[in-house]
Amino acid sequence: MSELAVAAFAAETGAHLLEPPREPRFAAFCRRFDEGAYLAGLGAAGLSWVGRSDQRFPARLRAIHDPPIGVFVRGEAELELLERPSVAVVGARACSPYGSEVATRLGRELARAGVLVVSGLARGVDACAHRGALESGHTVAVLGCGIDRDYPRAHAQLAACVAETGLILSEYAPGVEPAPWRFPARNRIVAGLACATVVVEARERSGALITADLALEEGREVLAVPGEITSHLSHGTNALLRLGATPVTSVADVLEALGIDPAPDPDAPTPPVEPRLARVHAAVVDAPAGVDELVRLTGIGAGEVAAALAELELRGLVVEAAGLFRGVIA
Amino acid sequence: MGGVLARTVTHALVGIEPRRVEVEAHLQRGIPAFAIVGLADRACQEAKHRVRSGIASAELEFPGHRITVNLAPAGLRKEGSGFDLPIALAVLAASHQLPPDALDGHAAIGELALDGRLRPVAGALVAAEGARRAGLTRLVCPAECAPQVALAGVEPVPASHLAEAVAYLRGDRDPPGAPPADADEAGYDGIPDLADVRGQERARRALEIAAVGGHNVLLVGPPGIGKTMLARRLPGILPRLDDDAALEVTRIHSVAGVLSPGAGLVRVPPFRAPHHTASAAAIVGGGSGPRPGEASLAHRGVLYLDELPEFQRAVLEALREPLEDGVVSVARVGGRAAFPACFQLVGTMNLCPCGARGDPGAACVCTPQRVERYRERLSRALLDRFDLVLAVPRPRGEELAAADAERSADVRVRVLLAREHLAVHDLRVGGAAAELLTRAVERRALSARARARTARVARTIAALAGATEIEPGHLAEALSYRPPAELTG
Repeated sequence: MSELAVAAFAAETGAHLLEPPREPRFAAFCRRFDEGAYLAGLGAAGLSWVGRSDQRFPARLRAIHDPPIGVFVRGEAELELLERPSVAVVGARACSPYGSEVATRLGRELARAGVLVVSGLARGVDACAHRGALESGHTVAVLGCGIDRDYPRAHAQLAACVAETGLILSEYAPGVEPAPWRFPARNRIVAGLACATVVVEARERSGALITADLALEEGREVLAVPGEITSHLSHGTNALLRLGATPVTSVADVLEALGIDPAPDPDAPTPPVEPRLARVHAAVVDAPAGVDELVRLTGIGAGEVAAALAELELRGLVVEAAGLFRGVIA
Repeated sequence: MGGVLARTVTHALVGIEPRRVEVEAHLQRGIPAFAIVGLADRACQEAKHRVRSGIASAELEFPGHRITVNLAPAGLRKEGSGFDLPIALAVLAASHQLPPDALDGHAAIGELALDGRLRPVAGALVAAEGARRAGLTRLVCPAECAPQVALAGVEPVPASHLAEAVAYLRGDRDPPGAPPADADEAGYDGIPDLADVRGQERARRALEIAAVGGHNVLLVGPPGIGKTMLARRLPGILPRLDDDAALEVTRIHSVAGVLSPGAGLVRVPPFRAPHHTASAAAIVGGGSGPRPGEASLAHRGVLYLDELPEFQRAVLEALREPLEDGVVSVARVGGRAAFPACFQLVGTMNLCPCGARGDPGAACVCTPQRVERYRERLSRALLDRFDLVLAVPRPRGEELAAADAERSADVRVRVLLAREHLAVHDLRVGGAAAELLTRAVERRALSARARARTARVARTIAALAGATEIEPGHLAEALSYRPPAELTG
């Protein structure tokens, strides 16, 4: 009765199994289950399997109170990658431009500091964290469906990029359909793989808060990014802060929680020196503004304001969302 | 051999091309009857009744013979009511109510009313061009069509009643004088002025650039911020059409029957705004005998598609051909036709189906999946056709109270100057600008197509600035008109 047989049986019956079940059906299944052929099939599809009892099974994940019986793995990286200091970056799927900017930045700078970024490949914050991390390092995605599926489908390309330098994990065998109840289960793996969990944006009772709760239960660090108190997207994160989560005011806060010294960022944007750029930048730092408003605030023509904004954006000093430009402080 | 034969010449439309049609009327003794043969459609068959009443109302005699009217060539499909007048004249000539050679050198077109008055028909300009090519010098037509006929270089014989036409052909009435003056020359009066738009500096700037370079524009933003208001003002800053363009446009509008009566050449770039429920045939043209669609009516002007993702996918895909080639080819059972459709496309869309995204004062209720589906309705290929993509945020109160803005006429002068500048100068990307473009390509992972688009817009901006090469500032501004990340996913 191998662990792989349990995972394969779970896939066949649609159950969620952490231990070999005591039922005749399973015994019958084991008798006809050909582990060698199954592994060969996985290998042919570029997948592999790590059982819970395997030496290579990630130590942090084994330490949680309900670890999966094993994980299916896809990707080019070695499993040792999972032993690195790692941070889960999670949050709302329908996030705000602010949320996506913060998630991207956290992903990028954590990866640059050598931290493994873990998330769930979902829309919004998850995808931004993965994308940011891909710019400068490694990232791991945990799926809530069969390992062979890319869910959501729109992220197939992203999944391929993650797999190129990192790993994709799932406790579910190939062919398992995504189902709502599997995502909280997936979240426990996200939290379990990470030393600390950062919640970027979350509504009340959101999946990201489930991940944070699971992390707390396992005694892992939980951090939250402060948001506007008037936005639904900040209710969850601000509630976490109120309960004592560590606020994230910069990437250094996250690195400090992991005990890593933040190194200065060589690509950090420097404030503009050209008078026209500086004027436009100063006008968007405090509050996001559209071009028309900037024309009025600075007295510069629309064409030149647009040119200045494009230049600032290339230098990473301004981000645009839906026609509104927000200044970024260096 | 019995009976008498008489003939008039008119022209049928095939697409926007004239095809010579001879109308033969044959009178025989026998039981009185009236038959029209030669692939005439329903409107054309009904000419019998109009001709009969029209002739009677003109105090002429409708012959009590067996009348056969043949529209030759018999294999060409004849549509519409423009054959009424030529049929009536042929019948009158066959019954000797007109001198035998009266119709020589003349063509005729027009619809008859039951009281004998002549009503204008679509395509008079094209029919007149056909007459000119056929070596005919005069065209008997309804008075309203006379200016169009004159444009084709054929002398119009305007008549408001069948009796007037007959009087002229009998020599009782002098040949008509010079055609009325080009009534539509002023033209720009009916177009809303940019001076009415408060604020919206960025959109005004983008429209000006679009007007100079003929770029397609996509306006993205929440509803109610004036996207339509802005788009309607684009024709007002486009320069007047030159003679060739004006004739092309007038021809298409004549065929479609959208010219106002008595109008001369269309000198102002047209603006067409079909509703999003329009079918592909309505947009690119179609029908059993192909007719021009909105895309062709917008030829040399602006095709405005409000709420772009709400249009049927088939319609949007059908637009790719004219956007690429400036021509629509329509093949139908009733014939095939190529319609010019070289238009400037202006589209609008929201950032999400509910429209609240990008609006700081509203909360979006769309799920990410719904937003994704909404955006997927716009194919990547179509999105790539928009050189200028503009995210327009909701303006704040104080912007709406801004001072009076520039008038369209003043902008139009600048546009014309910049176009001339473009025609004279070969604007290339300067060294510093090239470096900026390279940086942008790296940082934003611009595709080759996006890169070409940026350079194209930068060239237009440089022309507006009167520069001799593309400077970094021009290129940077061009970079700012790219699709927002929300659209490209």
